[in-house]
Amino acid sequence: MGTLLDALAMVAAADVLIAIMASAVYGLVVGSLPGLSATMATALLVPVTFYLSPIAAVATIITASAMAIFSGDIPGALMRIPGTPASAAYTDEAYAMTRKGQAELALGAGLWFSAIGGIVGTLSLVLMAPLLAEMALSFSTYEYFWLALLGLMCATLVARSSPIKAIASMLLGLLFACVGIENPGGVPRFTFGSTDLLGGIEVIPALVGVFAVSEVMRAMTTPEPPPLPRRRFGSILAGQWGLTKKYQWPMWRGNVIGIIIGVLPGAGADMAAWVSYAMSKRFSKEPEKFGTGHPEGLVEAGASNNASLASGWVPALLFGIPGDTITAIAIGVLYMKGLNPGPTLFTERASSMYALYIIFVLANIIMIPLGIAMIRLASLVLRAPRAAVMPVIVLICAVGSFATGNNLFSVMLVGLFGIIGFVMDRNGYPVAAMVLGIVMGTMVEQSFVTSLIKSDGDILPFFERPVSAVLAAMAIAALLWPVLVWAMRRLRHAEPA
Amino acid sequence: MIKLTRRGALAAGALAGLARPVLAQPRYPARPVQVIVPWGAGGGTDATARIVASLLEKEMGQPFNVVNRTGGSGVVGHAAIAQAAPDGYTIGMITVEICMMHWQGLTELKRTSYTPLALMNEDPPGVQVNAGSPYQDVKALSEAIKASRPGQLKASGTGQGGIWHLALAGWLGAIGLRADHVRWVPSNGAAPAMQDLAAGGLDLVTCSVPEARAIIEAGRARSLAIMAAQRNPQFPNVPTLNESLGITYSVGAWRGLAAPLNLPAPIAQQLTAALQKVYNGQEFKDFMNARGFAMTWGDAGQFERHMEQSDATLGAAMREAGLVRG
Amino acid sequence: MHLSDRVTGGFLVLLGAFAFWAGSRLPAVPGQDVGPAVFPMVIGGGLMLCGALIVLGVGRSFEEPDPEPTEAHAGLARWLGKRRVLAALVPPALLLFYVLAADTLGFLLTGFAMVLIAALSLGATLRLAVAMAIAAPPVIHLVFYKLLRVPLPEGLLAAPWA
Repeated sequence: MGTLLDALAMVAAADVLIAIMASAVYGLVVGSLPGLSATMATALLVPVTFYLSPIAAVATIITASAMAIFSGDIPGALMRIPGTPASAAYTDEAYAMTRKGQAELALGAGLWFSAIGGIVGTLSLVLMAPLLAEMALSFSTYEYFWLALLGLMCATLVARSSPIKAIASMLLGLLFACVGIENPGGVPRFTFGSTDLLGGIEVIPALVGVFAVSEVMRAMTTPEPPPLPRRRFGSILAGQWGLTKKYQWPMWRGNVIGIIIGVLPGAGADMAAWVSYAMSKRFSKEPEKFGTGHPEGLVEAGASNNASLASGWVPALLFGIPGDTITAIAIGVLYMKGLNPGPTLFTERASSMYALYIIFVLANIIMIPLGIAMIRLASLVLRAPRAAVMPVIVLICAVGSFATGNNLFSVMLVGLFGIIGFVMDRNGYPVAAMVLGIVMGTMVEQSFVTSLIKSDGDILPFFERPVSAVLAAMAIAALLWPVLVWAMRRLRHAEPA
Repeated sequence: MIKLTRRGALAAGALAGLARPVLAQPRYPARPVQVIVPWGAGGGTDATARIVASLLEKEMGQPFNVVNRTGGSGVVGHAAIAQAAPDGYTIGMITVEICMMHWQGLTELKRTSYTPLALMNEDPPGVQVNAGSPYQDVKALSEAIKASRPGQLKASGTGQGGIWHLALAGWLGAIGLRADHVRWVPSNGAAPAMQDLAAGGLDLVTCSVPEARAIIEAGRARSLAIMAAQRNPQFPNVPTLNESLGITYSVGAWRGLAAPLNLPAPIAQQLTAALQKVYNGQEFKDFMNARGFAMTWGDAGQFERHMEQSDATLGAAMREAGLVRG
Repeated sequence: MHLSDRVTGGFLVLLGAFAFWAGSRLPAVPGQDVGPAVFPMVIGGGLMLCGALIVLGVGRSFEEPDPEPTEAHAGLARWLGKRRVLAALVPPALLLFYVLAADTLGFLLTGFAMVLIAALSLGATLRLAVAMAIAAPPVIHLVFYKLLRVPLPEGLLAAPWA
């Protein structure tokens, strides 16, 4: 009890509270700008943390990343431009809801279920950290391979177009992920002698290109859509309790999946959102409504990506192993502030740990009022004429992608991916599947090649371990799913004849 | 606090300027200096560069702004430092990769493309095994390696051809084995490798001890030795290879400050002197100790010789491992 | 830019073949049985297969028709008439312009030109376009330069806070 009171006192310090508020606003702004991800929001905070007390420093990272993951939903819902890769899975769905006049419901769902996911994820961190950490350490490259493959298969489940085109898009993404020297062989691939391509194609420029730039390109060639009925933006939280009750089961599933994926090093919020959205569609009673503006997937995936954020701290705090790119940066800050990761952190610095838990919960609670304010502000975009909004987006795309490495080459990539995304979208190839391929490419190859090196080329270890066997069965079932659907359709077509 | 003292320093500088109006050339630095970091924000190099920059700022009275120029696996940022104007307003933190990339044929840049200023840090590789591993010291491990058939044991720590891979290759060479006698499993850095070591997927990991620290402290792994001339005061229980095996092989991941080639000598000397003050200051010490980074000082001349030696050692290890191209 | 499935599928087959061929020429890595060549070759093979299936029209029944817009066009699209798809190239061209011009002109002037051209192409009135072009770049500069510490180029016209 004493430690808990100590922790409360630590959080209630003025500098910590100010740090939380400031980084909350900062996270909301950064997350909602296309090209600036939650990871970047965290990275850009590092120099600031130099001047803060340990608890305040960690508080800024926790708060800013949680806010950024939520606020990535905002431009996705309003303009079909996901702010961060974690929102890409369900951007089309949220945008469809906006076009149906349900923008507040879509954004409210993002906000409400993000907060719930964040709090449930924190509870898992508090109650089960050692257990979850054990799980993370039991995952070897074999399990990662199947997990990555399952993640890729989500592309075919999510797509509304032909599954073959979805797979083709995903393969295209994997091919882009091959570019550069960051492969298990350390050999430059598809670099065509360019130094810039050595580092490979990063997710952010690709994401900004295929979503934001191609959206502006579409606007250039199509007339302005009929304006949405002019009305006051309704209550943002009104429908959420109803959704919570109606989709209780998907919500919990999203939380659990998010926690599991978050805890696994290397897989983060992006993958959690994809898997949860795909699961939601696969197990829904009304899968045909997905993609037409149906909140069910938003509930599950929105909870999932924020839940993964909290559980990603488990391996980071216990073993110094980053659960995702955000905690990778956070670990550096922990060391710098003398909060060295390790089991001793939980025993010797228990009050600091409690303080972190309290900050997690606090961040997810203030997310609701601040998020509502942000949504109201952002919704003005819907009233502004397209000719005023889109040019600003082009400029933000340029600066945002430049900021990822202060490298003008990223800006060229954004333009190029704009063209690729535009052509793909026009011809029924889902761009989100390509982004998934780029996100997952390194993990698929890395885990596959290192597993084979470790097993001396033997395939058997891929199926021997119990967890890998289960994952393998699931992956193979998902792989065969589209073939099965196609064969059944053929059969059904053949019957009447 | 900081602001006040800086203002004080500026005021003092202005007064000094008034007292000596004959000085035609403005004193360096007259405007903010850019510090280029070839690696991403949040990593070890970035953190080191940021602490050095903030201390230089106090020392020299002008802002030192850290700019991360990533891409091309470090090539882009290293090139940006080399190609900047040699006026002292662009410097950068260069890393051990500058002595590796040109051997692989990835870039024309090498250590001679820069004016070295100061070496600030060098982390030697360690030899880590799973906590349940039967090898209690590095002697037992190296006997076991000699007795194993080629490719039977697996090691990791970084990507193919990365610094820790070369550490292993060089060590194997020093005990008279081929560089690929222990099979290298490429990984995305030290953390995933340590995780796989703890999960029982690997036999040894040759990353630096600070990178392995958390897992060691969690009781999941043990560090058997470091490949350095002296023990690390942060980890006094870990012996050196020389103590245990009588091998003097040492290689490390180093970081230092450098400027474009042909930087005027007065500016270079001024920067090196300021860096030495930073290095000897308490704040830098506290930071490096907190992160577990090993402090290694070298002035311009020592840094140059250090790079020369590093370049030769790494080149030999890379040729041994079959990584030299072109 | 509506292309038939034959064209896009055929392109994927070619791309897959290229990936397969280029992958197969990658050098083997000593000490690795499965080298850097395998992954591009698998992807190349997969792309060829998918491309071929798309050319053959397998699975087309899943697709939904794209609603063709019927309302009046504005801006550049109207001026281009039947060739209005070319207007889509404006945003990538503006990004290329940014890459080429930002370091010499500076962020504010480059941003001014980009917003002005984009707004006019979208059919904004001259007044709105100029207003946006003057107002937006400084705000973006302020946020990115001051808040996010992104080193934006000064060029010919520096922002007062830079």
